[in-house]
Amino acid sequence: MADKQMSSSIKLPSEERMRMSIFVNGKKKELEIHPAARLVDILREQLHLTGTKISCGIGRCGACSVIMNGRLVNACLVRAYQANEKEIVTIEGLAEKGLHPIQQAFLEEGGFQCGYCTPGMIMAVKAILDQYPNPTSQQIVDGLSGNLCRCTGYSGIIRAVQKLAEKETSRLDSKC
Amino acid sequence: MDYEEGKGLRLKQVCIRPDGVEKVTGHLKFLTDLSFPNMLFAKILRSEYPHANIVSISTEKAEELPGVRAVITSKDVLGLNGFGLIFPDQPVLCKDKVRFVGDAVAAVAAETEEIAEAALQLIEVEYEPLPVVDDPEQAMLPSSPQLHPNGNILHQASYQSGNVEEAFQSCDCIVEETYQLPRQMHAYMETEGGVFVPEKDGTLTVYAGTQHGYKDRYQLARILNMPEEDIRVVSSPLGGSFGGKDELNIQPYGALLALKTGFPVKIHQTRRESVRSGIKRHPMKIKMKTGAKKNGKIIAHQVRIIADTGAYATLGPAVLDFAVEHATGPYMIPNIQVEGYSVFTNNGVAGEFRGFGGNQVTFALEGQIDRLAVKLGMSPLELRQKNLRQAHDPGPVGQKIAPTDGAQQVLKQISQSKLLNSCRKQDHNGLIKTGVGVAITMHGGGLGYGRLDPAGGRISLNEEGKIEIAFGFEEFGQGLLAVIEQIAIRAIGCSREDLHIVIGDTYKVPRSGSSTASRGTSMVWQAIQRMKAPFQNSLLERASQCTDVPVSQLKIGEKGVWHQDELLISYKELAKQTIDKPLIIETRFDFPATPCSIPGGHFLYSFAACAVKVEVDLATGFVRVKHLEQAVAAGPVIFPQGYLGQIEGGSVMALGYTLTEEALIEKGTYVTENFDTYLIPTIKDVPLSIDITAIEELCEEDEYGPRGVGEIGTVAVAPAIAMAIYDATGIWVNKLPVSREEIVNKMMETEMSKWLTSK
Repeated sequence: MADKQMSSSIKLPSEERMRMSIFVNGKKKELEIHPAARLVDILREQLHLTGTKISCGIGRCGACSVIMNGRLVNACLVRAYQANEKEIVTIEGLAEKGLHPIQQAFLEEGGFQCGYCTPGMIMAVKAILDQYPNPTSQQIVDGLSGNLCRCTGYSGIIRAVQKLAEKETSRLDSKC
Repeated sequence: MDYEEGKGLRLKQVCIRPDGVEKVTGHLKFLTDLSFPNMLFAKILRSEYPHANIVSISTEKAEELPGVRAVITSKDVLGLNGFGLIFPDQPVLCKDKVRFVGDAVAAVAAETEEIAEAALQLIEVEYEPLPVVDDPEQAMLPSSPQLHPNGNILHQASYQSGNVEEAFQSCDCIVEETYQLPRQMHAYMETEGGVFVPEKDGTLTVYAGTQHGYKDRYQLARILNMPEEDIRVVSSPLGGSFGGKDELNIQPYGALLALKTGFPVKIHQTRRESVRSGIKRHPMKIKMKTGAKKNGKIIAHQVRIIADTGAYATLGPAVLDFAVEHATGPYMIPNIQVEGYSVFTNNGVAGEFRGFGGNQVTFALEGQIDRLAVKLGMSPLELRQKNLRQAHDPGPVGQKIAPTDGAQQVLKQISQSKLLNSCRKQDHNGLIKTGVGVAITMHGGGLGYGRLDPAGGRISLNEEGKIEIAFGFEEFGQGLLAVIEQIAIRAIGCSREDLHIVIGDTYKVPRSGSSTASRGTSMVWQAIQRMKAPFQNSLLERASQCTDVPVSQLKIGEKGVWHQDELLISYKELAKQTIDKPLIIETRFDFPATPCSIPGGHFLYSFAACAVKVEVDLATGFVRVKHLEQAVAAGPVIFPQGYLGQIEGGSVMALGYTLTEEALIEKGTYVTENFDTYLIPTIKDVPLSIDITAIEELCEEDEYGPRGVGEIGTVAVAPAIAMAIYDATGIWVNKLPVSREEIVNKMMETEMSKWLTSK
């Protein structure tokens, strides 16, 4: 009896599975998976895309930021059933043809140190620039306020994004 | 000397670090990203109580859970059931007593992480809770429960010079204050973790981040009862450390479970597990009494430090020694009395953290200087100048140190800051006040007198024809790989493509000591200076033998050895032709320490001065740092982006320490368990401009080259912000993080009394 009570309060892993398909970096993937599996685990463990990191696990740090159907999400808060049939872009999807300009700017301006927040941070910058090609300082800090970096103090990240914005401005100017 | 004497303002140079592309593309495999065939997952059961006796542990039910492969408790520890960098007083797995909520009681390896987690819940541990010792001052009383056989005082340190009591008699102005510093969390983005692989030949490979691979190997060998040579520690790269991964963390559990099951075992702690088990910065209570003459000459300084070191030693004694040594900072004071105690409690474990006790005492010391200045009616900068050390003065505990004019250099540089003369803006309703503050500091590098602090490195021409540079250092973001690359290119004369840099793997690297204490850059530079001539000479002799061109006509360059502007023989060819007699140069030496017998006494110091401008919202108590400047004197800059990044990142980490960060513990249990309540600065909390000036000039006779800057940027920020808050509001901050509530309350008191008196 005591045993029964004991085990009824224990959370055992459930065997339930769902079929899902997901488009990751342009490729369709079919998976059998627990419906509440976290997107971050699907990416890292099922698809071996370890560029997306896990740090706080509660949506506060942004290390697992990916773009889902055009919007930045924390992959630790998205469950399998929510990601079903969705298009996901991860850091691995950014540099398929040479370095993306954001990555180049991060390299040149010291937008990273240990590199652990970097994939998420770069995806967040991409989300900003997709929405505002020439962002204001306010748009930059608003857009990156969900991504924590413990190494850089954000200075190099700010320089990198400003550099990208300046390039965009001069590109537009030269077009006129 | 191989560095170019710069004029300071060349920190914006673009230079791509060797690990950069892998990091920005997400291709870099951190050790917690690794997986192996048939890998198991482990979880660690931590104590339910901050202080308790263990009556019994039953693991049977957990072992019966399908998918569980092994459960370990104290009886499964093969060798010494203890770890700790100074002495191994922390049990790997507790047998009869727990002393903090992070104490490990059991661990499980299972086929999935979920099963391992479930199995933890099936382990039955019966505890007998004991009274919680949560106040270090209470812990010092004989009536307190004793946490260790030798009592609750882990370490005591002191320094005395002159006679403070007599000197106070003749002071015109005395300031006495008690400062309280919080428990800061390192908050590296990658929590502790890695994979432990039992190899076919009976050896064990450990893939887990640390700041000193060889030290982990030594500690693990004791725990596993295995020869050190049978353990390979692969320890880089790390997703941040800041001192926090210097001590062992998850390694013993992964290693024991891997050996027991015979399969690779992965552990990656969740953030909550990391907060609960990980070390933190020492909370300190520091009482200072400082007296000066009317003319501003400080003649007496009395300090009492009580550090809450938590449940186990780790580097607690060394942190206290450092705090005692730096309690007078860069000031020449004739009468000094410093005493410090590091005290055991059930409040987590405090240990090594960027700044290493310097942050706490500098906050107090600079607070004293500012309070004295105000009381004396003197400018804080002038008071500092009057008492500041000169190039050939002894160190802060009277010891012989390498001559350095750093203190004068940084103070002079920061005095020119535009921030200090900027106008005081006030908003129209007067609720936002602006203030400025300055603080300075000096910081010792290396482990100090009386401590084994060996360094070393190796240069070789490897079989592939690469110039291989190997160091037993770790890369946790600071840019060590770039530092090695830059120093090697300049010293040897080859190009970056000719180099192969090897770090962080005990099977491949020589002993270089720890990647701590701002020693990495310093030791890489010194090692390469020692090795470069023998390496170059030997390389040229070999090239001469292979080509019959005399050495005097040969030059080391890109791709190989050159003769009259032509590539004569490539490194690859040279390696091929001399494969029977490989070219390997090694060096071993010690980090320079003071010759004076002061435990932990330093010899090489770096300096920083910080100026900030803050806005204080009187209605909400919110403090915003608008601008921040730092001047740093740490010798020549090797890798500008890394140097800048260390000071910028250090500044912001210190900004968090000052304004928001505190790992709160109530009755021995963490209240702040993740980044929802433990608040590190976001991009919205930082000044958009941080200006860093590097002062590169060393004293003429200095032969020690560049000093590390990993820590120095974190030290002077907190007292500068505190002074700026006083400047803005008239409120002295003596406790961190700054309490918004206290600012609001004090302003209300002031306004109320103004209103009452005006009536």
